Amino acid sequence: MNSDIRLIGYGQTRFGELWDMGIRDLMEEAADAAISSAPITALDIDMIIVSNMLAEITNGQAHLSAIASSLLPHHPPALRVESACGSGAFALHTACAMLESGRARNVLVIGAEKMTDVSNDIVSSALMGAADAEQERPAGLTFPGIFGMIAQRYMHEYGLSRAALSLVSAVHHRNACGNSFAQFRTEVTPDDVSGSAPVADPLRLLDCSPISDGAAACVLSTDKESPVRIAASQIASDSLSIVDRPVLTSFSATKDAAERSLAEAEVKLKDIRIVETHDCFSIAALINLEDLGFADPGGGIRFYRNAYEGQTAAHRSPGEGGALGVNMSGGLKGCGHPVGATGIKQIIDVAKRLRETGERYGLAHNFGGACATCGVHVLEHSPS
Amino acid sequence: MTTPPILHRRNAKRRRKMQNGAVLSWTTMSHPLDGFGIRPRTVGLIELEDGTRSLGQLLGEPRIGQKVRPRMALSTVNADGLREYDVAYEPLVTIAWSHIAQKAFPGYILALTGPSGVGKTTVSRIIVNMFGEYAEAVPILTTRCEKDGDDGEYAYVTKKEFTEAMKIGDIASYARIPSSTEERWYGYRHADIEDIWKKGKLPLVITEMHLLRGLSEHYGRRSILSFGLLPPGKSRRAMLSALLHRLRSRGRDAEEHIKERLQNAVSDLDFFRTNAGLFNKILVNEDVDAVIAMLKKHVPAFAEAKN
Repeated sequence: MNSDIRLIGYGQTRFGELWDMGIRDLMEEAADAAISSAPITALDIDMIIVSNMLAEITNGQAHLSAIASSLLPHHPPALRVESACGSGAFALHTACAMLESGRARNVLVIGAEKMTDVSNDIVSSALMGAADAEQERPAGLTFPGIFGMIAQRYMHEYGLSRAALSLVSAVHHRNACGNSFAQFRTEVTPDDVSGSAPVADPLRLLDCSPISDGAAACVLSTDKESPVRIAASQIASDSLSIVDRPVLTSFSATKDAAERSLAEAEVKLKDIRIVETHDCFSIAALINLEDLGFADPGGGIRFYRNAYEGQTAAHRSPGEGGALGVNMSGGLKGCGHPVGATGIKQIIDVAKRLRETGERYGLAHNFGGACATCGVHVLEHSPS
Repeated sequence: MTTPPILHRRNAKRRRKMQNGAVLSWTTMSHPLDGFGIRPRTVGLIELEDGTRSLGQLLGEPRIGQKVRPRMALSTVNADGLREYDVAYEPLVTIAWSHIAQKAFPGYILALTGPSGVGKTTVSRIIVNMFGEYAEAVPILTTRCEKDGDDGEYAYVTKKEFTEAMKIGDIASYARIPSSTEERWYGYRHADIEDIWKKGKLPLVITEMHLLRGLSEHYGRRSILSFGLLPPGKSRRAMLSALLHRLRSRGRDAEEHIKERLQNAVSDLDFFRTNAGLFNKILVNEDVDAVIAMLKKHVPAFAEAKN
């Protein structure tokens, strides 16, 4: 990073089906929480970045930057960033660029999505905007369908069983039980997952992150001190369509962004102790661990098996470093996935966890579509 | 949203997707995208023969690695009721022949087809004389009157008898040959053909275009070893002149019938051009010995004969 960027405040709404809140309400609650937790006043915010994907379709509302600006008394300049489900990470990256360039010193980043105002059919169709409109959509594919295909291939190549895949959601649900902001604070067993309704073979309902409302916000600053700083912010891209990719069972954008993030933060993989990954579907959680370097190809399930059997956080293999907490917030599956808010919420969860555990490094991994865009942030915690 | 321009561009690229391929992965969506119906939909990622990849609906039981071929299938019905078709993929079926009960194939039919006057009857007689041990002419069932010069190749029946045989399915193939003087029907009976097979011989039929097509449909094209006989001549006019000369010189028909036969011959010559698939070999009957030699060469049963 060219500047010392600190995470000086953060806050979020509860994620879930929030019938009584519009997108403006969600943004306002998250922004208030973030600013009130920071050692600044609202008037110190000199720029707002808004992360959102679907408001035009699900809320009939564009121009979210103007809404965000109107939330603060001095109407600071605001802009909106969209990169599908990876919008949050891209908004953070944009905020970092603004801070590094010196155009701003205190940036409020708000991620918000209000998805439950319309039917599931409309949401599914809108989410398909993150795929290739001239390849995936005409075939009738949905996003569960795309990840179903990825899961099918993964199982074929690595021999992953349906029962083993069910461990992923079981672990995430259990982790979410301790998170008061999570949409699902109930445990499910692997059998519950395997026995849930089929969605896109081999994926079942409980393999899929839900449709959610929610907002999250954070304040990044080059002006104020904080024990948590952004040590790295990297984004990467891949082919939009899975048709154009050489492999289905690995996401090159994750590898690219992760490699550059570790280099930028000047840390080794083994130093990362807290990870929030983009588990929009259970199969994605396994692929993410492998692409980030925490597991060999086909070996991601080992972490979840250890986590489930040990009734603790997922662990590295012996000799690979200390304990690794993966999606201790509950991930997208347990917390919910209001798409524009997820990337910001991950940063908040990593920061919280670093502070709680006293660990030094954490990593947030957020992607859009089938990882056609990916953002990886490394957070460093330096308690005073 | 799939708009008409998107559909247009997709359709323009459709030709590329029309290749065989192999299934790389697949999924069955319980709730397909809005507009694609409410039934579960199986979609596959296909690696095509040219190395490119394609997404398409999968028909049949999917499996990774499965070989598939393309075919157009109903993809969706849009809000206006327009039925949109797209390239789908279905399994390439490999038939395990050993699992299919063998159907006894009784033999095949030797057919000589050509316009009137080309020399079919002459060639047929020579064949029966030379290869009588192997082949036997199938009597032609006809409603026409017996004529001088007929040499036992016809079985004469009344129109009523012919119609009755048609109704009860005794006739494998039949045709009405246009004539201004009488209603002439011709046909072949199953029983006559099968009797010859039972003798272990090759049924020989002297036929014309409608009868040949009927036999082909009844027994199957592969059951007929079919030879076309053409009159000599480099042009159509020259061929018709040669036929006219032969019909007049054999002295069997009145000039009125000769004209009718010549008119039918025009259709017969067209038939050779437009139905080439019904013939294994076209022979030009300029020299009957050469025709017999060619037949001996191409008919397996005759090739074994000592003549």
